[in-house]
Amino acid sequence: MRGIDAAAVSLPRYRLAGEAVEEAWGRNPHREMVVPRADEDAFTMGIAAAERLFERGIEREAIEHVALASTTPPLDEGLFAPRLGRALGLGRNVETSEHTGSTLAGAEAFSRALDADGPALVVVSDCPAGDPADGWGAGAVALLVADEAAVGVPERAWHADEYPGLRYRERGSEDVASIGVTTYERDAIRECVTGAASQLDSIGSVAHAALHQPDARMPGRIANDLPIDDEAVEHGTVVDRVGDAGAATVFLGLARALGGADADDRTLAGVFGSGGAGAAFVLDGGLDVAGLVDGEIPDGERISYTNALRKRGVLDEEEVAGGGARVSLPTWRGSLDQRYRLRAGRCPDCETVAFPPEGACPHCGSRADYEPYDLPRVGVVRARTVVGQGGAPPEFAAQQRRDGAYGVVVVGFEGIDATLPAQLTDCDPESVAIGDELRAVVRRIYEQEGIGRYGVKFVPTA
Amino acid sequence: MRDAYVVGAGQSPFGSFPDATYRSLFETAFDRALDSTSGAFDPDRIDEAFLGTLGVGGRQIGLSAPAVTEHVGLHTTPTTRVENACAAGGYAFRSAVTAVQSGRADVALAGGYEVMTDTSADQTRWWLGVSGDTEYERLSGTTFAGVYAQMANAYFHEYDADPDALARVAVKNHANGAENPNAHLGFACSMADATDAPPVAEPLNRYHCCPISDGASAVLVVSADVAEEFAPVRVAGVGAASGRVGLFERDTLTSIPASAAAAERAYEQAGIDSEDVDFAEVHDCFAIAELLAYEDLGFCERGEAGILLDDGRTDPDGELPVNTSGGLKSKGHPIGATGTGQLVELFEQFQDRAHVQVDSPDIGLAHNVGGSGGGATVTVLERTDVGGA
Ligand SMILES: [Zn+2]
Repeated sequence: MRGIDAAAVSLPRYRLAGEAVEEAWGRNPHREMVVPRADEDAFTMGIAAAERLFERGIEREAIEHVALASTTPPLDEGLFAPRLGRALGLGRNVETSEHTGSTLAGAEAFSRALDADGPALVVVSDCPAGDPADGWGAGAVALLVADEAAVGVPERAWHADEYPGLRYRERGSEDVASIGVTTYERDAIRECVTGAASQLDSIGSVAHAALHQPDARMPGRIANDLPIDDEAVEHGTVVDRVGDAGAATVFLGLARALGGADADDRTLAGVFGSGGAGAAFVLDGGLDVAGLVDGEIPDGERISYTNALRKRGVLDEEEVAGGGARVSLPTWRGSLDQRYRLRAGRCPDCETVAFPPEGACPHCGSRADYEPYDLPRVGVVRARTVVGQGGAPPEFAAQQRRDGAYGVVVVGFEGIDATLPAQLTDCDPESVAIGDELRAVVRRIYEQEGIGRYGVKFVPTA
Repeated sequence: MRDAYVVGAGQSPFGSFPDATYRSLFETAFDRALDSTSGAFDPDRIDEAFLGTLGVGGRQIGLSAPAVTEHVGLHTTPTTRVENACAAGGYAFRSAVTAVQSGRADVALAGGYEVMTDTSADQTRWWLGVSGDTEYERLSGTTFAGVYAQMANAYFHEYDADPDALARVAVKNHANGAENPNAHLGFACSMADATDAPPVAEPLNRYHCCPISDGASAVLVVSADVAEEFAPVRVAGVGAASGRVGLFERDTLTSIPASAAAAERAYEQAGIDSEDVDFAEVHDCFAIAELLAYEDLGFCERGEAGILLDDGRTDPDGELPVNTSGGLKSKGHPIGATGTGQLVELFEQFQDRAHVQVDSPDIGLAHNVGGSGGGATVTVLERTDVGGA
């Protein structure tokens, strides 16, 4: 049966405790919220989740469809599936679909992948903008949808009816708004999700349920109208650990539920999209989910409320003076394999590896074309500095204000001549020293001419 | 090939001069160069000019060098702008020397100018990041400070050397610069000042970094025939070399190969080796750069720069005084003006009128680096019997 054959989750490193918000505001939105860094967004989190899948041995070239979902894609208009495909090294002939506009996006992408032919990659990645005191979180899930899958999807159903005024974002706005009529909102969510779920023949035998969860109480309210007990709902509820991660929350809950499900267990996914639609899926079986720790959402590093506000860019956003380093878009595009895949080149005459793979061989001077050679994703620090206030080029000033002083390293690789310069992320740069091992991640580097540029940064493996 | 000589050299004060322009600063340097000759020098004798500038701030990107020579009345004189980042001045001087040596010019003007302090802090940092590798190195988040900091990090790790050497460079150069009325930061500093300053890029703090400065400098390079009329200094050798622009593209993180190659060429032309050098101006844009220069120029073995410094051998009363002008650290670093600014100090030492005077030197060396080592020049000047005015 077609369904989910592999799953992975990826969360940013940092967490804000609900108690820290309570100290500031007297209210505690969730126990903990995931806080993305200035260099993370739906795109980078999605890459991180998908890379976890590929680490499990799934072939990149085998993917025939990519279905993306996010309420916060990097651009209001403009695809990011092609970018994701390039960053992940997928084939150029993949069919793509992108789903956005509501928290139902993940269900739409999943459904599309179920309808597609061949192996399909589903990435649900989201990081709603706003004050983390309002409970916003972040996270990403990647699913491999294939025939004869470990977890089959025998049934799905939909329900749609107009419910305006809930969780909408006006054109050009970053912030989600709501009319704020509590009973009306709850009724809308319950009607849409249960309207879909109650159409399922196997709804009576569900052991786990991941239900729409802007807060931890909502899944229980939805389940009241369905033959599902509290324990089943608990398995699929993670909003208290990640915050409201938009379209990704239910899928993070689903990943946790499937990670804990036995082969003969049945799981319900109940998804809601504002405007007035619900979707419900039945999933049979369980699987080992990459990125969970002992089946649980992994812990992160707690940071202060002020630090979280800075990281989310709530405190300031300024234009980059001078417009940033001048690397034209065509030049940048020409180097995408270097930016994402660390593609170096091996000299055909002396086998020296050069990065970037252009110009005369640094060893023998040969002008012959380099053979493509991908550097390992794990390297070693050869030199390190920490760039403080005043030491950063202006295109990194805003990031520095949000994430503080950053580390910059020259990275080397065992047995390879080539080295490359890179920024450190997700670590205290002071604690990184020459000889330390580093792992490559794709992050937002900077923006020029309004176009976000992404590439590799490094994180200590220890 | 003909010999080339320096008969005059002058600089404007280095510092922050909001009321000055690159033209007016150069005018000051030019007038001082003319005044520095041992007899009156008729500027109409200048056949050709080579002027270095990076063009920080983006003012007059095209044809700023002719704008400068026309401003000082060198009407129709062919003028070439030289851009090799911080080594623009050194390369401008080399071009002037070549023009004289080839016989094309009997008198060539070399110089440089830069205005850096009249733009916003962000704009300035934008420009400080334009002379490393833009596509990869800068986009890892570095300006010069970050790249030199990485070199310092690798250097102290490789040789297990004492990072206090960075502060000792600052203390020495500030002590010298305190005597120099043209210095941007003309004051002495203590080890505590130089150790406890706010970090810029670890391990470099603010006292391990040169300031950004406005300024200009000018040098008159002439043939033997012309030199005879004045009290000249002989150009014994000018070595120049290029290197990979990005640090990550090089074989070493603890040396600047372009410096070493330029030094080798300069010594060979001059028929000397490093022991013959009596004093030197080296490119201390960051304190680590002075330590690397000691080693790349052959003043000491690899890893032993700190010992040379500790022994006081590069102090003004040592056997090899370095940066008696205050260096880039204290005198200042108006990018395009720095290379020929170093030659002003060399010339004044030979004239026995330097502010921190070395005891009658015979051979002086100037070492000028572009970026973190994408280009370098090493110039050797020597006392000569030619002339006598
Ligand atoms: Zn080769």
